Amino acid sequence: MMAEGVDAEWELSKENIQPLKRGRDVSVLHQALSQQQDGPSSAVSQQKQSFESELRLYNGEDPLDVWDRYVKWTEQTFPQGGKESNLSMLLERAVTLFTEEKRYHNDPRYVDLWIKFAEICPEPLEIYSYMQAQRIGGSQASFYIAWSEEYERQGNSRKADNAYQEGFNNFAEPRDKLLQFHKGLQARVSRQVMTSMADKDSDEESNEPERMSLIDLKHRGKKKAIVPINRVRAVLGHNARALQSRRAPAPSRAENSCFLVFDENKCPEAVTSDPKLEPWAAPPPARAKENEQKPEKWCDVKMPQKSRFGHKIIAPPLAKPSFQPFVEESDEPPTMTPCKINPAVNTVLSSRKPRLEETPLKRLQEHRSHLLLQKQQPATQGGKPQEKSAYCKELLFSGATEFCFEELRAERYRQKMAQETEGRAQPGQSSTDPTQH
Amino acid sequence: MSLFGTTTGFGAGGTGVFGATTTDSHNPMKDVEVTSPPDDSISCLAFSPPTMPGNFLIGGSWANDVRCWEVQDNGQTVPKAQQMHTGPVLDVCWSDDGSKVFTASCDKTAKMWDLNSNQAMQIAQHDGPIKSIHWVKAPNYSCIMTGSWDKTLKFWDTRSPNPMLSLPMTERCYCADVVYPMAVLATADRGLIVYQLENQPSEFRRIDSPLKHQHRCVAIFKDKQNKPTGFALGSIEGRVAIHYINPPNPAKDNFTFKCHRSNGTNTATPQDIYAVNAISFHPVHGTLSTVGSDGRFSFWDKDARTKLKTSEQLDQPITACAFNSNGNIFAYASSYDWSKVRGANEAHAAVGRKLYGEGGPDTPTGPSPFTVGLTLGCYCHLHTEEQGFLSWLHTIRFYLCNLC
Repeated sequence: MMAEGVDAEWELSKENIQPLKRGRDVSVLHQALSQQQDGPSSAVSQQKQSFESELRLYNGEDPLDVWDRYVKWTEQTFPQGGKESNLSMLLERAVTLFTEEKRYHNDPRYVDLWIKFAEICPEPLEIYSYMQAQRIGGSQASFYIAWSEEYERQGNSRKADNAYQEGFNNFAEPRDKLLQFHKGLQARVSRQVMTSMADKDSDEESNEPERMSLIDLKHRGKKKAIVPINRVRAVLGHNARALQSRRAPAPSRAENSCFLVFDENKCPEAVTSDPKLEPWAAPPPARAKENEQKPEKWCDVKMPQKSRFGHKIIAPPLAKPSFQPFVEESDEPPTMTPCKINPAVNTVLSSRKPRLEETPLKRLQEHRSHLLLQKQQPATQGGKPQEKSAYCKELLFSGATEFCFEELRAERYRQKMAQETEGRAQPGQSSTDPTQH
Repeated sequence: MSLFGTTTGFGAGGTGVFGATTTDSHNPMKDVEVTSPPDDSISCLAFSPPTMPGNFLIGGSWANDVRCWEVQDNGQTVPKAQQMHTGPVLDVCWSDDGSKVFTASCDKTAKMWDLNSNQAMQIAQHDGPIKSIHWVKAPNYSCIMTGSWDKTLKFWDTRSPNPMLSLPMTERCYCADVVYPMAVLATADRGLIVYQLENQPSEFRRIDSPLKHQHRCVAIFKDKQNKPTGFALGSIEGRVAIHYINPPNPAKDNFTFKCHRSNGTNTATPQDIYAVNAISFHPVHGTLSTVGSDGRFSFWDKDARTKLKTSEQLDQPITACAFNSNGNIFAYASSYDWSKVRGANEAHAAVGRKLYGEGGPDTPTGPSPFTVGLTLGCYCHLHTEEQGFLSWLHTIRFYLCNLC
């Protein structure tokens, strides 16, 4: 009964759960979701706090490990993402922190953090190029895969392929994985090419005027203009004839009136696909001519196009209509209603000012140049006396939240106490502890 | 003397034991140092209220203890009593009649210390370390207000194990001050909440922080009618904001000023910015003192917007300060404040050296003495209300003893 309830809960909030590449632990997910209903529980905040203090007080060989675990825990614990998870800030801090640590640059965990960071950035490609420039992840297959997938997402399959080539050139490991994903890309691209070719074929077939059946044309996009059922070839062939002669009769609608209108009710046999049965007011264009554009969907003309014979056809501009088109008054910019409020004062609905360009990448680069600058010349910058915080700033603002000195120290104290009580509990072991000597 | 039934002095033989090391302490101003200071950093100081005859100073420390000294008129300090917590003590306060002292600790409890009987009992419990403790004396009630890192603010009747009132906060409490009927709390993430305490404590207003950096200390100041009217807020980046609650002209009346920075005239080296560790207001003149991690204390006049005096630089940070009830004694505590930890590894290395190499106390900076300096100032008070500042013609300093 209980389990059912939990299952149902998971079902109910399915669309709020951010997908994870590694998948999610169902039990953790259940826990996280139930906690979200009750508000942030003390267990979660305690765990978060312990991660935060671990980040600051870690003194082993592998500080990246804490960050890695913290990020993974955050992903699992806050399935809905969102602000309170602080994931983006966490990732940014993590990748920034170790940019100078060469030993991590090809660590799969670090590269993973970078990829996660890139994925939440507005411009992932910039991050990937930055990584490449900094030689971060240069020998990791996952980096090239992520990079290529981003290119693919943006529809640039050539660059996506290049990313894999780059990976092969740099002997990225594991090679099998890279190969496998590369094959996957190739398969997708070739499938795409095939389908698009097939589409083209079917397009061309449908372009044949014989295939026209007298149904409503589908409207595209938001325009709901309805095309009359009674269409004639002249309408369809308008473009073509415009090609043929510059002095093409202007708008087709106007032309319609001088046609003999075809009535499907009167002559049902005319429904046959043979257009030659239609009575034409003007002679049909010669069909056997070379370089003539085939009739095609008139609502979706793309130029330049290729003819069947592979020649490029450049469409000449359509002849200008000889009359003044009627413009609805409402199309003009609406006249201003008298404004009673001084527009200079009324800022309530003013457009948002363009914010200072500050992308995560920029911050990264700034951080780096700042470091370099500090190394080179710690002195003045721009004549203004530089300011330097004379306290352990990087410790206070390490993770996703800030700490004060007392919190850091209290945490250190707590650890020490825990060690001592542990030592007291096992007196035999503590005497053999090498640190005691 | 009769106040303390049992005169359990601590550090048996006090000065005699530690007398040999007196020369180590850095005391450029030759201030009085209290006898038997704590064995670890001092986190808080509080002088006895004006209702008590004499001056008694309470100091809490990271060695888990709270100590009480009597400061005699001749500048002698006499250790009177001490109490222990099971964790570092973060804050202390007095009851208005001076009979009790309240202490807040990292062990998540607060205690009431009855000085007459020298008995301490637990009066409050939080889910996290308690960072601030204040005595609230209202006409119709009196209680203890505790702010904790568990993101709650609680009000306690000392006779009940359960809080009278528990108010949730969005962030951890970093510092607080109370002057009835106003309480102000500064939290992590630069939060500022003002509470009103009349009838029943309730949130009065949230204020956008006037400072750009982490809040570190706050102190309420009063107007001419002796009513609380605003507060001074110190940040970890050498700046203090003076903020009025209901100023006639907010843009003009509220301001911030820089303090506790290395000399800014030398442009060849970057200016060092230190944390402002504590602020206290002079009970009579309304001037304020700030102490910082740079090892200096300064006195300021917020109305004239001038600096009155800056101390010599000590070799360690000053972590706490307090004026006595009539304002002729200024006490400051010089201790290590954890601000110089450059990285966890380094701190650990230092600790390791100490623990395993020298066998000294577990402090990351080395064998630094933790001292309470007392500037026994005879403020020869020449100032008129128009000038609005103190002059410091005669400052009598005693250099009595020094420990550790």
